[in-house]
Amino acid sequence: MKTCLIVDDSRVVRKVAARIIQDLKFNVTEAGDGAEALTACRTEMPDAVLLDWNMPVMNGLDFLRALRREEGGKKPLVVFCSIENDAEHISEAIRSGADEFIMKPFDADILESKFAEVGLV
Amino acid sequence: MQDAVFNELADLALKGSGQAIPKSKAYLIEARLAAIARREGFGSMDDLVHCLKSRANPVFAAEVAAALVSKDTSFFRERDTLKRIVEDVLPQRLKASNTGRLKIWFAGGSTGQEAYSLAIELEDELPAALRGAKIEVLSTDICKVSSERARIGCYGHYEVQKGLSIHRLTKHFTRLETGQWEVSEALKARVSFRQHNLLESAAGLGKFDVIVCRNVLSGMARPAKTRVIENLAAQLVPGGMILLGQGEGLIGLTDKLEPARDFRGAWVAAGTANAAASAA
Repeated sequence: MKTCLIVDDSRVVRKVAARIIQDLKFNVTEAGDGAEALTACRTEMPDAVLLDWNMPVMNGLDFLRALRREEGGKKPLVVFCSIENDAEHISEAIRSGADEFIMKPFDADILESKFAEVGLV
Repeated sequence: MQDAVFNELADLALKGSGQAIPKSKAYLIEARLAAIARREGFGSMDDLVHCLKSRANPVFAAEVAAALVSKDTSFFRERDTLKRIVEDVLPQRLKASNTGRLKIWFAGGSTGQEAYSLAIELEDELPAALRGAKIEVLSTDICKVSSERARIGCYGHYEVQKGLSIHRLTKHFTRLETGQWEVSEALKARVSFRQHNLLESAAGLGKFDVIVCRNVLSGMARPAKTRVIENLAAQLVPGGMILLGQGEGLIGLTDKLEPARDFRGAWVAAGTANAAASAA
């Protein structure tokens, strides 16, 4: 089974996302900020990361840049997920190594469609 | 909803658009007519039906019938078919036609996502065989509001996130102040939109090399399906093709068309399938 790490400082968002992604047949783990997520990735690289932008301690963008420099850090497909959805934010996320971008709020159909775009489902 | 009210509206749908709405889907009627009822100030479906019956207004009746048709669509829906159209069907048709021009019609194209998806595919993935060809794309829908929305080409947050990669979204759309996303002028220039009821003759729209009619017939009553499909068949150029949605067939509905030999799900004029295959 593929694995997906959900990184978001909102427990509610993580819970909603986890339920949807489990339905897409993933093993799901969670992290509350970028630093926690990086620790988790050092233990085991997931196949996919659903990544929030604004978080305390380490934000999504800093996590993503750090992840891509880690050994094996190019492997996970990263789907950024943010309420910041203007062209500049989107292109900054893509430049920093995101594979897809979801504009919040999202629903199950959007998550599935975006996972399909990068070949995860 | 009372039986009498349901029967009136189901009958209107059947006559106006060919839709067969079963009693088990009465909730669809309320959902699809909610906007009209609100605009006209009707408190209930009873009031709406009463108005339809008391003032004979064919324009209003047609609007209600059009509103009862499903508007479900999304970008790159059944994307394999779209790819096949661009990679196989259009090059084959171009070679056979010898005019350097191709005309494609999305019959029942709702709010335009299918036609724009083809336009995107033609921009991003144009095969060498189609280079230099003049490709005209028409999308029609029975609903005036949907056709108008398609022409304006502005889509919401949820619509643009289903079927479009972020790369395609940022390449072909611009985000507006309202939070909506507008299709680029380049795509708009490739596609035109018209209101058209498929139960009526389409002679005024001209002839087409490829007609795409997906998820339209499936909701229709049997006689309406035959009428629609024969109206479409009448607009094919010799050798032209009709493509239906996944799981949609024409067996027993018409003797004017037969399955194309080399494209699964495609239909050609009866008696020409073998000729089309050898031409390809």
